[in-house]
Amino acid sequence: MKIVKIPKKKLDLFASILRQHWEIHAPVEQNGRYAFKPLTHWSEARLHYNRTILPPKKYFMPPRETMFHYREGKGYVPAQEELDQRLILFGVHPCDIYAINILDEVFGGKYNDPYFQTRRKNIGIIGVDCTPDEHCFCRSMRADTVEKGFDLFFTDLGEEYMTLVGTSLGDDMVLMAAPLFEPITAADIQKYKQVSSEKRQAFSLDVEIHDLPEIFELEYKSEIWDELGDQCLSCGSCSMVCPTCYCYDVADTVELGSKAGDRVRTWDSCLFHTHALVAGGENFREKRSSRIKNRFYHKQRGMVAEYGRPSCVGCGRCIVGCPVHIDIVQVINRLRGEDHANRG
Amino acid sequence: MLIADEKTVKTPVLADNPYQPHLARIVRIFKMVPDNHLFTLRFEDQWTAERFKHRPGQFMMLSVPGAGEAPISISSSPTRPGVLELCVRRVGRVTDALYRMQTNDVVGLRGPYGNGFPIETLIGNDLLIVAGGLGMAPLRSLVWWALDHRDKFKKITLMYGAKNPAEMLYRDELVSLADRSDMQCLLIVDRDPTGQWKHHVGLLPTLFDHADINPATTYAAVCGPPVVYKYILQRLLALNFSKDRILMSLERRMKCGVGKCSHCSVGYKYTCIHGPIFTYWDAINLPELV
Amino acid sequence: MNKPKVGIIGLTGCSGDQLVILNCEDQLLDLVGAIDIRDFLTATSANDTESRLDVAFVEGSVVSQKDEDLLRRVRERCTILVALGTCAVWGGIPTMDRDQDRPALLRAVYGDLNWEYDTCPAKALHEVVKVDLNLPGCPIEKDQFLATVANLLNGNLPLLPDYAVCTECKMKENNCLLIEKKQVCLGPVSVAGCQARCPSLNIPCVGCRGPCTDANLKSAAATYAENGVAMEDVIRKMKTFAPVPVSEQP
Repeated sequence: MKIVKIPKKKLDLFASILRQHWEIHAPVEQNGRYAFKPLTHWSEARLHYNRTILPPKKYFMPPRETMFHYREGKGYVPAQEELDQRLILFGVHPCDIYAINILDEVFGGKYNDPYFQTRRKNIGIIGVDCTPDEHCFCRSMRADTVEKGFDLFFTDLGEEYMTLVGTSLGDDMVLMAAPLFEPITAADIQKYKQVSSEKRQAFSLDVEIHDLPEIFELEYKSEIWDELGDQCLSCGSCSMVCPTCYCYDVADTVELGSKAGDRVRTWDSCLFHTHALVAGGENFREKRSSRIKNRFYHKQRGMVAEYGRPSCVGCGRCIVGCPVHIDIVQVINRLRGEDHANRG
Repeated sequence: MLIADEKTVKTPVLADNPYQPHLARIVRIFKMVPDNHLFTLRFEDQWTAERFKHRPGQFMMLSVPGAGEAPISISSSPTRPGVLELCVRRVGRVTDALYRMQTNDVVGLRGPYGNGFPIETLIGNDLLIVAGGLGMAPLRSLVWWALDHRDKFKKITLMYGAKNPAEMLYRDELVSLADRSDMQCLLIVDRDPTGQWKHHVGLLPTLFDHADINPATTYAAVCGPPVVYKYILQRLLALNFSKDRILMSLERRMKCGVGKCSHCSVGYKYTCIHGPIFTYWDAINLPELV
Repeated sequence: MNKPKVGIIGLTGCSGDQLVILNCEDQLLDLVGAIDIRDFLTATSANDTESRLDVAFVEGSVVSQKDEDLLRRVRERCTILVALGTCAVWGGIPTMDRDQDRPALLRAVYGDLNWEYDTCPAKALHEVVKVDLNLPGCPIEKDQFLATVANLLNGNLPLLPDYAVCTECKMKENNCLLIEKKQVCLGPVSVAGCQARCPSLNIPCVGCRGPCTDANLKSAAATYAENGVAMEDVIRKMKTFAPVPVSEQP
């Protein structure tokens, strides 16, 4: 892998070069939290941030997306107006990149989702490493580092960012701004190892995922699920903020006074009482407890069967964003019969 | 998967769009049973119509513009190509809208989806098809596929139960099958208010008393409401059927049909791509499946 | 094509929902082009109050015998009855404390004049007649109203969300007023469709659209109380727009 570095004070220059070709979106502060937004000035970007309210999935599968326009006589015509926007997400954390890699698998395979894939092709990703806070458990979920899914990846070495070049597009970005980048030195490598070790030590949350599928099977009838069902508001917040929740609903809208309209898909949540409700009234997950169990089960056990790993990346968003403090780490530790593991 | 028709696709990016509904014309509406009409459809595009292939047990996503999309199992057999027959129960927004349509109106279709019956595995065996009520809709495709490949099976037995003769799907067709000597077609109704019914009256499981089923050489395909699964599974297990020789066709809420939207998830499987045909062994392993 | 005959009728309410319809400025011409409005007292005094209606939109809650009689007449003359706005759907603010002693309330407001009033505890439309569609909101959302008309013109009932305001609030990537500011935001139990109008302006949701079907009132009430708000205030807040069965003892 090609590895270079860029002095921090030259980042704004790098951004201005990139901006000639792409719109740059980066984490921006929003009332004490962060959100990916288009930048007007590089100074708005916050590369040291804990987590954005919504994960970058909002760029690859927007909360509402028109799939088709239908017109009488023409049928369903694919909507592609919004697909061609080329932009760069600057400052994506490893867990979020990992999550996008998981979505790649879900929206790929035998039935390729052309909307997701087109956006994926048109959006560049510059990753940045981070320091875990008290809600991060990406290390437990093996998502604290990524080796693919980014064009460039920045690691903070103090005065400069060490830059991994992940794709040929990433290399083009570096070449576009060639004078800003420098080769790395032996001292940089030492510094990188030190940073990496410090990050490892910084995790305060830990959860063991080894044999989790078996634990979920064994605890399928656990009373924990009923307790969680009583607690859960089924407000959908956890699903919206989850970087790997990809449930969506599809509906046709219609224009006033015509027979034309759009087919639109919208983020959905398996916690909604309508999620498994079929026409005719049968609801396969009527109880809230069975819905919240399904959410955890699908993420931590189902995805292992289907894609070889849990789809949770340990970003902590669902913990921060649950109004009634349902905490996935606590749930797993309780299922395992262990107390809240806290090494901090 | 179907290839999208050129008229509707402009850029190569969206040319291979699994969500693309293809226009299909309603060529016949047969009012089989109240609120269970049989719609015969034909793809508008000749190229698509000719290349369409499916397996018994698969389903289509049916679009009625403005109302939305719904999964509907295919009732016609692949051995009778050219048109598609969908037995549609009037039960929700999309099907309501479909029932307001008339022959020659145009709907959207995409598919086929789902695993379908494992026909390669079934070949060479006895076949027992058990349907209760509306469960006949997805099994009818298998019935005709097997009869059109009669030489590939040993014994074929069909058991079908409905509340009364008026609610029996494909009644005339199935009654005529009862005359065939190369299969056993057992039809039963709970009650016969007409007094004209010449077949069995009683509950579906009692048909087992009239059939000679060898569990070692038979695959059973079952579809019906939950109560049918309950009693038929009891019967089959009492006969010592192996759990993976019992095949069930299941229903779930579906939005995409291609394993993305998650509505039809059951445990760690999606009904749309891993099903809708599951073995009884799957059902034991997948909580909430039946 | 025969345009569907529509009535827009008010019971006791503030007419705010009818004003939303009149405020559909850009779509108003399309609207009157697509439907035949026969009865709309808030917009015109020349009304046909007898003929058959395909769709009746009824605003307000039932607080008198007069309201109830009118509602029953409307039900008889229409095919599809749409409850327009939270008062019609849930009873709205008039149902707040509707179990209180009626004569005592009358005395408190009008003194000891002993006038005869045609008044009864407020009811939602569905408590009196069959309602085909609920369009909640205080006031209703213009987009939902227009989508409803567009769908009805095609023979379909519209699909309205039945999940919580939180979902739409998160889609807009708002800061969470409940979690971050410990405010009593009713987003988690109130039905979406407003695109989180208030939380998007940093104002906590007051639940003006009424609860979603699956609202977990008990757990939500406990959470608000945890944030230091007296349980009785929490319950009062939750019952502002709909007589929801939230218990004192969560």
